[in-house]
Amino acid sequence: MASVTFKNISKRFGNVVAVNNLNLEVADGEFLVLLGPSGCGKTTTMRIVAGLETETEGEIFIGDHSVKGLLPKYRDIAMVFQSYALYPHMTVYQNIEYPLKIRKLPISERRELVMIAAKRVHLEPELERLPRQLSGGQQQRVALARLLIRNPQLFLMDEPLSNLDAKLRVLMRAEIKHLQYELGMTTIYVTHDQVEAMTMADRIAVMNEGVVQQLAVPKAIYNDPANLFVAGFIGSPPMNFIHGDLKNGNFSGKGVSIESVGGGTREAVVLGVRPEDTAIVNGDGGHFSAPIYSVELTGEVTLVNVHLGDGIFSIRADKDFDGTIDTQVNVRLDSNKAFLFDSNTEQRIRA
Amino acid sequence: MNAFFSQRRRLLDVWYLRNSLVYLAMGLALVYTLFPMLWMVFNSFKRRIDIISIPVVYWPDQPTLNNYIEVFVNRGFFIQLGNSLIIAITVTTISLVFGTFAAYGLARFTYFANFKQHISFWILSTRMIPPIVTLVPLYILFSTVGLLNTKLSLIIAYTGFNLPFVVWMMKGYFSEIPHEMEESAMVDGDTRFGAMLRIAIPLAKPSIAATAIFSFLLSWNEMLLALILSDTAASQTFPVALGTRISQHQIFWGEINAGGVVAILPVIILAFIVQRHLVRGLSFGAIKG
Repeated sequence: MASVTFKNISKRFGNVVAVNNLNLEVADGEFLVLLGPSGCGKTTTMRIVAGLETETEGEIFIGDHSVKGLLPKYRDIAMVFQSYALYPHMTVYQNIEYPLKIRKLPISERRELVMIAAKRVHLEPELERLPRQLSGGQQQRVALARLLIRNPQLFLMDEPLSNLDAKLRVLMRAEIKHLQYELGMTTIYVTHDQVEAMTMADRIAVMNEGVVQQLAVPKAIYNDPANLFVAGFIGSPPMNFIHGDLKNGNFSGKGVSIESVGGGTREAVVLGVRPEDTAIVNGDGGHFSAPIYSVELTGEVTLVNVHLGDGIFSIRADKDFDGTIDTQVNVRLDSNKAFLFDSNTEQRIRA
Repeated sequence: MNAFFSQRRRLLDVWYLRNSLVYLAMGLALVYTLFPMLWMVFNSFKRRIDIISIPVVYWPDQPTLNNYIEVFVNRGFFIQLGNSLIIAITVTTISLVFGTFAAYGLARFTYFANFKQHISFWILSTRMIPPIVTLVPLYILFSTVGLLNTKLSLIIAYTGFNLPFVVWMMKGYFSEIPHEMEESAMVDGDTRFGAMLRIAIPLAKPSIAATAIFSFLLSWNEMLLALILSDTAASQTFPVALGTRISQHQIFWGEINAGGVVAILPVIILAFIVQRHLVRGLSFGAIKG
């Protein structure tokens, strides 16, 4: 296993900038997740590491060695593709064996290693079958086994769970995380699913428009977002944003005024607050009053959306909350847990 | 209950009616295409008198093998049959090898700017001229280099006509195969060439089979170029040789039909060999989503 260093990596397709001056360090044995919406450059970044795309500028180091200009086969990495990319004309056994066959390992040694890898992902009974005869979860395991059969410097995974159904995804998530921990493998994992990122990552790099918006441990990404994009992208339901002004530390927006949320006076700020840091209160003590837009019971909580200004404001209310649409409710938010952003630069305003 | 059954009955009637119409249409199409072949087979076993007799004789009372003996023993058309086979097989092999590599390159790589589109179009454009237009230039060309009346001249000419066709067919198929599989192979330690040989080409087998048949047929059936470019018994192709059975004085229908029966055999055999590969869907289950 080895560390990976990105130095000023840029990738342009014609006039489109896919990755813009990326600098990143992945420590030995770390599980780094590249998280972002589609088209944010995360998959391109991974393909550059694998050598399937050539960087326009910059350099990547795996361990201490630059891999600039190296063919994929000389980079000593293993990769799982979103589509699994199993070889449809080969049996499961041949699929797993392929990387060793290319390296011309003796047959007996190959057999032994295939068996170990197959056992690790519980595929022994399926070895003689063809990929198309397997379920989605089993195909995923074949791809994993093909990854595990070698002992490369680096593992790459490109949205490996996105084709699985919800239940299996949760299962495989834990399985991959466990394997990664057990083998201490340096891993770069690409996903657009924030839950996957939060649950699996040692560190998350949130990407948008080819730029890393924030690189931090999952907790920090959630509790201490660096800008509007990260704040809005992480969390489900997403963070509420209210546009307004700040006067002597008091925020006032359309139909809302909240005291002592920050310091100083400035115009054009955005106040962000997560639904779980808000509550519906009876009588006085609310920051604003608004009519209910919709009520969604999820089981453990009730999500209440209310009209606020031109938009919708989400509140995570008690599961016993009972209210009908259009009734007026008083909403209180925890001003200690509210974030302030500059609405022009979209950067966080820190007190 | 009764209403249900009568409704069901009616639906079934419509279904039967529609099906029988479909079968009728298919039957007519089959008769239209297969009857001439059957007629050829029958004629090849007839004596001359039976072929031209009215009322029409279908299966003769005294079937004879004389037509076959005349064509292959007395006239020795085995040589021309062999020529045709050699030419068709060589042309198919060369076109498939070069065409597949070219198609793979065009399907997988990007060249600077729009150069790829221009190359593809240029290759296709060579098929836009009818072959007959090239006949005189080809004749002059081959006569200058002394290749007239050789099998090589036909092999070169046919390969020229076949290659663009193979490139375009295979290019389409390669574009359909998801590139992740080859990329995965390369990350797994293979070269681009290895990934092509071990992943892309095995997956393209059905397409290669289909292309092979078309390519074989194209050179096997060709008559015009063969007629002009080779005039000696040693270099003639089978269709040209059979053509000589239409003489100034009479047409040897029996011999022509016997030759025709033999001429369609290699194609039928080839179709049987590759039909297993013609079933598509091999790449199913490879890529989800």
